[in-house]
Amino acid sequence: MWKEIGDREMGKIRPNSFSSWIKSNRISNLQLSNNKDIVSPHRGSINSLQVDLTEGRYLLSGASDASAAVYDVQRATNYEGNGLIAKHKCLFSVDKQHGKGHKYAISSAIWYPVDTGLFVTGSYDHYIKVWDTNTTQVVMNFKMPGKVYRTAMSPLATSHMLIAAGTEDVQVRLCDIASGAFAHTLSGHRDGVMTVEWSTSSEWVLITGGCDGAIRFWDIRRAGCFLVLDQSQSQLGRRPPVLARSAANKVSVSKSLSAGQNSLGKPRAPQKKYANGHGMKQLTIGRMPAKSSARQRLHPGMLSIQDRATAHYGAVTGLKVTDDGMYLLSAGSDSRIKLWDLESGYNTLVNFEMVRLQTSKAIQLAISQETAQVFVPCMTVVKAFDIWSGKMSLAFRGHYESVNCCWFSSQDQELYTGGNDRQILVWSPCEPMTDDTDTAHTKDQDNWSD
Amino acid sequence: MAMEMEERGKVGTLMEKATNSTASEVDPRLLKAIKSVVRSSDFELRLAAHTLMDLMKRDHSQVRYLTLLIIDELFMRSKLFRTLLVENLDQLLALSVGFRRNMPLPAPPAIASALRSKAIEFLEKWNASFGIHYRQLRLGFDYLKNTLRFQFPNLQETAARIERERRERERRTREILQNKFEILKTNFSSVKEEIQSTVDEIGQCLDIVRTKEECVPPILLDDEDFVEFRSAELRQIRLDSLKEGEKIHENNDNKVVFDALRELYKLLVTKHLVLVQERISLLIRVEVADNRSRESMLKELIDIRNSLMSVKKDCEESGCALPKTAKNNTEEEEDFWEEGDFGSIKNGITTEPEKHKEVESCNADEKSRSVEDRNSKKSNKRSKNLAKLPASSMVKGKDKDCSNLSSKGKETQGHEKSVRGDLLAEAPVLKWGSFLDNWGSVSNRDTLANQKGLELDNHWGRVDYDAVIPAEKIAELNLQATIYQEKVGEIQPCRAPLNKGGLCQRRDLKVCPFHGPIIPRDDAGNPINQNSSTDNTDPDLGSDLAEQLAKQAVNNVRERDKEEARKRKLAKQSLQREKLAKVREHNEAVLRDAAMASTSISAAFGEDMGETVGERSAGRRNKQTLASMLRKKVTTKDRLAQRLLNTRATDAMIRQMTQGDDATYKESFPNQW
Repeated sequence: MWKEIGDREMGKIRPNSFSSWIKSNRISNLQLSNNKDIVSPHRGSINSLQVDLTEGRYLLSGASDASAAVYDVQRATNYEGNGLIAKHKCLFSVDKQHGKGHKYAISSAIWYPVDTGLFVTGSYDHYIKVWDTNTTQVVMNFKMPGKVYRTAMSPLATSHMLIAAGTEDVQVRLCDIASGAFAHTLSGHRDGVMTVEWSTSSEWVLITGGCDGAIRFWDIRRAGCFLVLDQSQSQLGRRPPVLARSAANKVSVSKSLSAGQNSLGKPRAPQKKYANGHGMKQLTIGRMPAKSSARQRLHPGMLSIQDRATAHYGAVTGLKVTDDGMYLLSAGSDSRIKLWDLESGYNTLVNFEMVRLQTSKAIQLAISQETAQVFVPCMTVVKAFDIWSGKMSLAFRGHYESVNCCWFSSQDQELYTGGNDRQILVWSPCEPMTDDTDTAHTKDQDNWSD
Repeated sequence: MAMEMEERGKVGTLMEKATNSTASEVDPRLLKAIKSVVRSSDFELRLAAHTLMDLMKRDHSQVRYLTLLIIDELFMRSKLFRTLLVENLDQLLALSVGFRRNMPLPAPPAIASALRSKAIEFLEKWNASFGIHYRQLRLGFDYLKNTLRFQFPNLQETAARIERERRERERRTREILQNKFEILKTNFSSVKEEIQSTVDEIGQCLDIVRTKEECVPPILLDDEDFVEFRSAELRQIRLDSLKEGEKIHENNDNKVVFDALRELYKLLVTKHLVLVQERISLLIRVEVADNRSRESMLKELIDIRNSLMSVKKDCEESGCALPKTAKNNTEEEEDFWEEGDFGSIKNGITTEPEKHKEVESCNADEKSRSVEDRNSKKSNKRSKNLAKLPASSMVKGKDKDCSNLSSKGKETQGHEKSVRGDLLAEAPVLKWGSFLDNWGSVSNRDTLANQKGLELDNHWGRVDYDAVIPAEKIAELNLQATIYQEKVGEIQPCRAPLNKGGLCQRRDLKVCPFHGPIIPRDDAGNPINQNSSTDNTDPDLGSDLAEQLAKQAVNNVRERDKEEARKRKLAKQSLQREKLAKVREHNEAVLRDAAMASTSISAAFGEDMGETVGERSAGRRNKQTLASMLRKKVTTKDRLAQRLLNTRATDAMIRQMTQGDDATYKESFPNQW
C-alpha cells in the first residue's frame, strides 16, 4: 500500500492506474457490510435496484408489493449500537397507498439518466409511470399491452428521451417522455421480452432479450432489428488487444469482407480499424448498418434462418453491456451466462463456472469495469465472475431467498443486492475496525472461560 | 481411514465421538477437551468450524443437535469461530431450523423439534450478544422473525418486562406508603387520643368489676376434697380449675359492666391493636426524608402497642375476656346444649384453649375478627348459658374426668372401627342365595313347607298347610354348594425366538401352535434345559435318601422354632419384596419394550450372533444407538400386515374364494356341465 503511494508521489505510477489499483483492491475485499444497513420498507421481494447515474448517491428500489423507495446511500438517517451501525432509511417510498401508485408488483425502477428529478417504474399492472422525485407524484402514465418486465433508458442519450419497455407482449415499445406517446413499436420477438438494455456505445442501439431465447439488436432510427445473436456462432476467447492486432488487421480486413458476403450472411460487423478506441467504436456501431451494402440488402427482412437464431435455450433473463460497449453478458433460464463480442456478434465461449440461475424472473446483472468482474445473482448467492476467464472470484452469501437484482456502484465500490427475502444488502470493502467505538458495548472478543 | 483421521485432526475425532451419542447433552469431558484443543491454535479452530458444519449436514437430528450444542459453546467464546460461522449462517440455520422447504430436518422427529427450538433460542442469544458486530446474525434473526414469523422465546425482553413490572409495582407501593404516612402524620394525635380513651374506659370497667368482686367470697374447697385427687395430673387439673374459680365471673349484678368491658375489649383487639400493628409496619417500610419524626412516631406507636397488650392481658386475666372462651364453645354449644350434656360442653371449654392457641398463632387478624364477630352475635345466648352454670370447681373437676372418659370412649370406638375393618377384610365374598336369609343363625327350627310360595288351592287334592320340613332336612337343603373355580394364573408366553427378532408372545396353556410345547426359556428365547437338571438331581436324591430324610427331620424341627421368628420377619419382608417385585416387573417391562423397539433385520442378525456370545448380547441389544433412534417401532399391526398381506397369503385367499364360488355354483346347478 505505502509502496504504491510512494510510487505515485514519485510519479512512477500514473493517477489513473493508481486509482484503479486502489479500486480493484477494494473490490476484491467486498464483504457484507456490518456498519451500513439499508432498512427496506418493502414487504415483498426486491425486483430492481439502481443508484442514480449523476451523483451516485440515491438508491432506487422497486419491489413486489408495488412499492418503490429511494435511499441515500452516503448519509445515514440514524445510527444504532453506539454509532456502530449506520441505518439508511428510505427518504421516501411510494406504494399502493399512494393514490396513483401501482397496483401490482413493480418489476423495474430506474432513474432518469440525466438527473434525479425523475424516475420510471414499470409494473405487472401493465403501466409504466414516470414519477417526479421531489413531489413523489406521477407525471406520466404509459399503458402497456401486458405486464412490464423491464424498462430501460439510454445513459448516453442526448437526442431522445425514450423508455424502452420489455413486456409480456412480443413487441418492444419505446415510450417517449417528451410527448407522452409510444414512439416506436419494435416487433421481431416471438415471445415476451424479459429484458431490455441500451447500448453503452451508441444512443440509438437497443438490445432486447426475449423469452424465446433471442437477443435482438435494434437501431431505433430504422425499422426492424439488425442483429440476432446466435449461440452456435462462436469465436474463441476475446479479441486480441487493439495495438497487437493493428498489424494483423490489414490482412483480416479483406477476409472479413469476403466472410461477410458468404451464404450464411453472418450478421458480422465489418472489421474496422478502431485504433482510436471508444469514441471511434461508438461511431462504428451507429454507422454500421448504413455502411455495409450487404447489410442493407439483408436488413429489414433478414434471412429467416438468421431471424430464428437463439442466444440461449429458454428465456434470456438478464443482459448487461460492458461499460465500453464492446461486450455483452447475457444470462438465460438455461442457467448459462454468455459473453458476446458485440463487434462480431459471436459467442466468445467463455465458460462461466457452474451456476444455477433463477428462471422465473428477470435478473439484474452488474459489472465492475475496473476488475472486469460480473456480479450474477445465482439463487441465494451473488457470485462475482471474472469476465474473461469465467472463474468465480467471490461469492456473496447473505440472502435467505433468491436474489433478483444487484447494482454495483463504482464510485463507492459498493455492491447492493436485493432479493426475495425483502432485504437490500450492502457489500462494501472491509475496513479495519476501530476498537474505540466498542468500549461501551459488549466487545467482540475471545472469551474463554476455561 | 487413518489418513482421514489424520487430516481431520484431533478435534475431528473428538467431535465425532462427542456427537455419536444418544444423550441429550454433550459429554462435558469431551466438550472440555474440544475446547482446550480448539483454543490451542487457530488452525484447529478452523478445522473445528469445518468439521462442525460437516456434522450439521448429517442426516440425523441427534447428531445435529449435539453439534449445535458444541457450536454454541464455541460461538460464545471464540471470535474467529464466530467470523467463520457467520459466513455460512444461512446454511447453518437451514440445517438446524429447517426453514427451507426442500431441506426438512431429518428423523427422529422428536429430536428434530428440540433441535429447531434450540437453534432458534441460540440464534436469539447470539443476536443479543453479538448481533451488533455481525450483520449476518442480524439478518438471520430478522429473516426468521419478521419474514418467516418464527416464535422466538424472547428471553431478554421477557426478563426486561418482568423487571419493569416489578419496578412499577414497587414504585406504586412506595407511593401508597407515602400517602399513608402523610395521613398518619396529620391524624396521629387524634388516633392516640382515641386509643387512650378506650384504654381508660377499660381500666374504669375493670376497677368497677374488681371492687364488686371483693364482696363476693370465692368458693373454696376443703382440704379433704383435695386429697381425693391423687394423681399428679388430676391435681394439676384441679389447680387450674381452682385458678379458674378465682377469676371474676359474671353475674346479674355486673352484667352491664361486663358487656361494656366486652365491647371495649373487642374494640381494642379488633381495631386498635390491628391498626397500631399496621402503622408500625407502615413506618418501618416507608421511606421518608425526615427520619426523626418517623422514629419518634414509631417509638410512640410501639409504646402504645405495649400498653394495649398489657391492657388486653389485664382483661383476659380478670376473666372478662370472655369472648375468648365464648368463642371456643360456640360450635359445640349449638350441637350439645339441647342435649343437656353437661360434660361435653365443659369438655369443649376445657379442651378448646389449646385449639384456640393454635388458631391464634396461625391466624390472620381478619380470621379472628370474623370469629369474634360470630361470637358477639351469640354472646347473649352464651352469657345466659354460662349464667346457668354453677361456678363450682367440684363440677369442673368432674368435668375433667368426664372429658377423659369421653375421650376414652372415643378411643374404644376407634378401636371398634378397626376391628370391623379387620372383619370386613376377612369376610368372604359370596354370591347371593336364599341361604343368606338365615346367615349366621343356627336354626334348629322346622320350617313350614306350604306357607311360602305357590297357593296350591286343592288342585291336586287337599293341601296340608301345616306340613313341616324338619330342621335337619332344611340344613341339608341349605347346604351351600359352590362350584370350584380354578384360580386363573397368568398364562406364560411361549417366548420362542422369532426369526424376525423378538420372542413369541403367544399365550397358550401347554402347546404353542407355532413353536410346540411351552417350556421355560431364558431372555434370549433359548430353552432352559430342565430334563438334564432333573436327571442330575434325581440320582443324588436316591443315593443318600436316608441322610436327606434325617436332615429333613432336623430341619423341620428347627424350622418350626424358626417359624415364629421368620413369620414376623416375613411380614416385614413381604412388603419389601412386593415393592421389589414391582420394581423388577417394571424393569422387565421396560427391557422388553426396548427389545421390541429394536426389532429389525439387522437387530435380529445381531441377536443371532449374540446367542452364541450369551449374556453380553442382551446388554448390547438394550444399548441405544443413533441408528436405533431412527428405527421405527414395529407394531403388532405391522407384523400382522406382514403376515397377512404378503403375496402368498393373498393368493391363497383368492384361491379359496374362487374354489368356494365354484363349489356353490356346482351345487346350485349340478346338472349343468
